Amino acid sequence: MAGVMIVEDDAALREMLRDSLEKRKYTVITAADGREALAKFRPSVVDLVVTDLLMPEEDGLMVIMKIKEIKPSTRLIAISGGGMAGPGSYLLMASKLGADHVFSKPFLPSELVQKVKELLG
Amino acid sequence: MSGKRHIRPAAGRDPLNTESHGAAAQLSAMAGGIAHDLNTVITTIYGYSEQALETLEQDAETVQYIRRIIAAADRAKTLAGQLLSLSHRVAEEKVPVRVADVLADTIDFIRPSVPSGIRIIRNLSAPDASVMAVPAQLFRILLNLILNAAQAIGEKEGTITVTLEAPVNEEGERTEENGTCLLIRISDTGKGMDSGTAGKIFDPFFTSGKKSGTGLGLTVVSDAVRELGGKIRVSSVRDKGTTFELLIPDTFFGSLNEKN
Repeated sequence: MAGVMIVEDDAALREMLRDSLEKRKYTVITAADGREALAKFRPSVVDLVVTDLLMPEEDGLMVIMKIKEIKPSTRLIAISGGGMAGPGSYLLMASKLGADHVFSKPFLPSELVQKVKELLG
Repeated sequence: MSGKRHIRPAAGRDPLNTESHGAAAQLSAMAGGIAHDLNTVITTIYGYSEQALETLEQDAETVQYIRRIIAAADRAKTLAGQLLSLSHRVAEEKVPVRVADVLADTIDFIRPSVPSGIRIIRNLSAPDASVMAVPAQLFRILLNLILNAAQAIGEKEGTITVTLEAPVNEEGERTEENGTCLLIRISDTGKGMDSGTAGKIFDPFFTSGKKSGTGLGLTVVSDAVRELGGKIRVSSVRDKGTTFELLIPDTFFGSLNEKN
């Protein structure tokens, strides 16, 4: 089954998304920030990355950029609640850097799961 | 939950640091930070509620309880939205903004995401010049234009030159005869456009064949520049590059007029 990496600094949201995706039989790897994500990323295992954007260490924009370099075929979903510059600025950046889809928090996790399914065909 | 954002909203990579924009901006950032964290919590509530509904029979009494949890989360979402709206209202007040500061914030924000073959050159002949603007709005204008410039160059080597000029007379003085607007110019050495494409780029939903994007970016930029009382124009040569010029009223003359 396809592999999904979840990068989110909020532990409760991270575990909820893990539960939702594991129920659909995806292999799930989690990371609490961008640095951990890049350390754990394995091109042979991960087909899609769901990443928060504002995180304390390496942020989600950096994750998108570096993963696109490592494995360009990786599908990417950005999730963000925005910062002072507004969610639009971060989600815009994420799209321009190659995110296939963006979700502004709060979103229905079932919609994210559906999008994962679509992107992984 | 990342409560640290409440206290230090600029601790991540939030480009519009609060310190330079005063107490109102700090309040706005705090409200925005709380709304952000609340929205994260609400997403988790939605997720577990949806999972619980999937595992129950439709007629179970517990289903009704879970629907009420979701309804309560919807109300919390509305409250978070109101908080965010308050945050944006405060943040959307026009204040005198040093253009060079916002340019520096924008370039710092973008730099790590731009391929290393692209040089970004700052050419600021009027480093203290300011305009009346919402800082976040000016940031979004510059963000869009510089990102577009980087995309036009792509993975090749190239240069983005950002120029800030305030017209002066022969003695180097600012006078109304020499123009009351600041000029911000963003030039790239990218693939450029033909005149037909350049003539349409501010039209809603126009895209130049990119795979991503809504085609609204430059329409939003154009509207935002107009909101600042300014103008935007573009010139481009295929395979040579593109230049965007923004003309925005200078607060220097605003204050002169007020004195008169």
